[in-house]
Amino acid sequence: MIRAQALTKTYGDRTAVNGIDFTVEPGRVTGFLGPNGAGKSTTMRMILGLDAPTRGTVTVNGHRYGSSPAPLREIGALLEAHAIHPGRSARDHLRWMAASNGIRTTRVGEVLEQVGLDTVAGQRAGRFSLGMGQRLGIASALLGDPPVVVLDEPVNGLDPEGIRWVRQLARQLADEGRTVFVSSHLMSEMALMADHLIVIGRGTILADCSMQQFMTDHAASYVRVKAPQSTDVESLLVGRGLEVNRVDDEIRVQGLDAAAIGELVGSNGLLLHELTLVRSSLEDAFMALTADSVEYHAEAQPKAVAA
Amino acid sequence: MTAQVEAAPELKTAPPARVGFTAVLRSERIKLTSVRSTWWTVVALVVLGAGLTTALCWGNAEWLASGDADEAPGSFITVGMTLAQVCALVLGVLTASSEYGTGMIRTTLAATPVRGRVLLAKAVLVAAVLMVAGTVTALLGYAGGNYFLDREGIGLALEGDVARAMYGSGLFLAGLGVLGVAVGFLVRHTAAAISIVLAQIFVVEALVGLIPGSVGDWAAKLMPGNAGLQIASPTTFIPDMLDPWPAFGVFSLEVAALLVLAWLMLRRRDA
Repeated sequence: MIRAQALTKTYGDRTAVNGIDFTVEPGRVTGFLGPNGAGKSTTMRMILGLDAPTRGTVTVNGHRYGSSPAPLREIGALLEAHAIHPGRSARDHLRWMAASNGIRTTRVGEVLEQVGLDTVAGQRAGRFSLGMGQRLGIASALLGDPPVVVLDEPVNGLDPEGIRWVRQLARQLADEGRTVFVSSHLMSEMALMADHLIVIGRGTILADCSMQQFMTDHAASYVRVKAPQSTDVESLLVGRGLEVNRVDDEIRVQGLDAAAIGELVGSNGLLLHELTLVRSSLEDAFMALTADSVEYHAEAQPKAVAA
Repeated sequence: MTAQVEAAPELKTAPPARVGFTAVLRSERIKLTSVRSTWWTVVALVVLGAGLTTALCWGNAEWLASGDADEAPGSFITVGMTLAQVCALVLGVLTASSEYGTGMIRTTLAATPVRGRVLLAKAVLVAAVLMVAGTVTALLGYAGGNYFLDREGIGLALEGDVARAMYGSGLFLAGLGVLGVAVGFLVRHTAAAISIVLAQIFVVEALVGLIPGSVGDWAAKLMPGNAGLQIASPTTFIPDMLDPWPAFGVFSLEVAALLVLAWLMLRRRDA
């Protein structure tokens, strides 16, 4: 379990993390989502005692990270891929980590096999691709068999097969009862991986809820209605107290499902040309939520897609 | 969702047994010995150090044996340390700064949150390696150089100040290595840290003597490179230096002060 209370980090006059509170519970995958520069990595570093909070606290399993007698056995972390000496082999990299926390040496072989690097374990890590470096980072997170696993942008640089593997691994770790905290700036990735979602933007928590709840709350859906006698249809729907928006030749209706709308219109003797449930993607929901908090804007506007 | 949470088995989270300084020392030993740069630096140190001593003794033996010589043979018998010290500084700096270059320092400090242990373990290991390498280099240089001095009848016996200069070379390089570790942690950038220590040893220390009066004399005597070198040589080229052991005391204090500063900064700064 990870708990942050009023956690704050300022660099000079810039506030990277602004008094956030959250709890990461065991037994589920918690996604930590935010645009680049939102404060994700800063928060991760504070969890691991690498950056000192300006104010507030963050604890792992009830105590401050730095007070852990053998931290790698309590929390395993993937912080950045390629944070490895290029001249050192993957095996030696894991060996020094194991030695530092009194972890038995046989774990090195076990985690190398688990992440699929056992055949290249003797190679210098400088020759590794980004994906292999990422796998080595994940191996080092699992080394101490920790009850808490933190993965910062774990799918960066991975191929589709690797991405699926990370997803399954996160699920498996959570099913084993571990606390799994995964950061990403990709909503689509989180939608597939996380049970619970913490959204951060400009250093503040924008949402902290289950993935299901997030979808219901933020992924707006409506029924698109097109009809030849559109004015009649519109007034009929408005008359039923539904929320109706007119956009060009289409009528957007919220508050009733497509089947019920079809029956209502039909029973009033009106014709329909189109009746479609339109659901904005989670990506759109995320964009909408964090629109005010992204640091660098591109001009293109997100478009709603049919689901 | 909720059912899933309840179904998850309880993981035991009993705190693991405390690991001590020896674990960090073992860990840092694996790091030091598992990269080629360590071995290259040590080999270069031995070859350049012993080689330069041998070459200069060979080239100067005849002159030293003649009546014109205004230097003592003892000044030449460990002269290779002037090159070996570069390798010692580089080894010290690299053990610290290479971790910052790759970002690995975060992994290191996450594994060992008591940061002083990392600094101390690196300093102890670098000092141990350089103590051995420095003494071996001095002995090899002595064997090679004294062969040529002997031929001119001015050979030196391996006793007294000459013997002290042998392990003194080990002490000098060990101290420089620790200084390199401290600067590496303070500067956190390989090229910058190496530039700083080399500029100090080869430029600053040579120039402070030019300050007129006793201020310049004392500044030159107390500079870490000048002070440290005294223990590594039976008789020095530069006149008016401190005696070997007091000089080594000054050098050790300076290195220790820098190490303490590095420790304070390492504790304070975000990784």
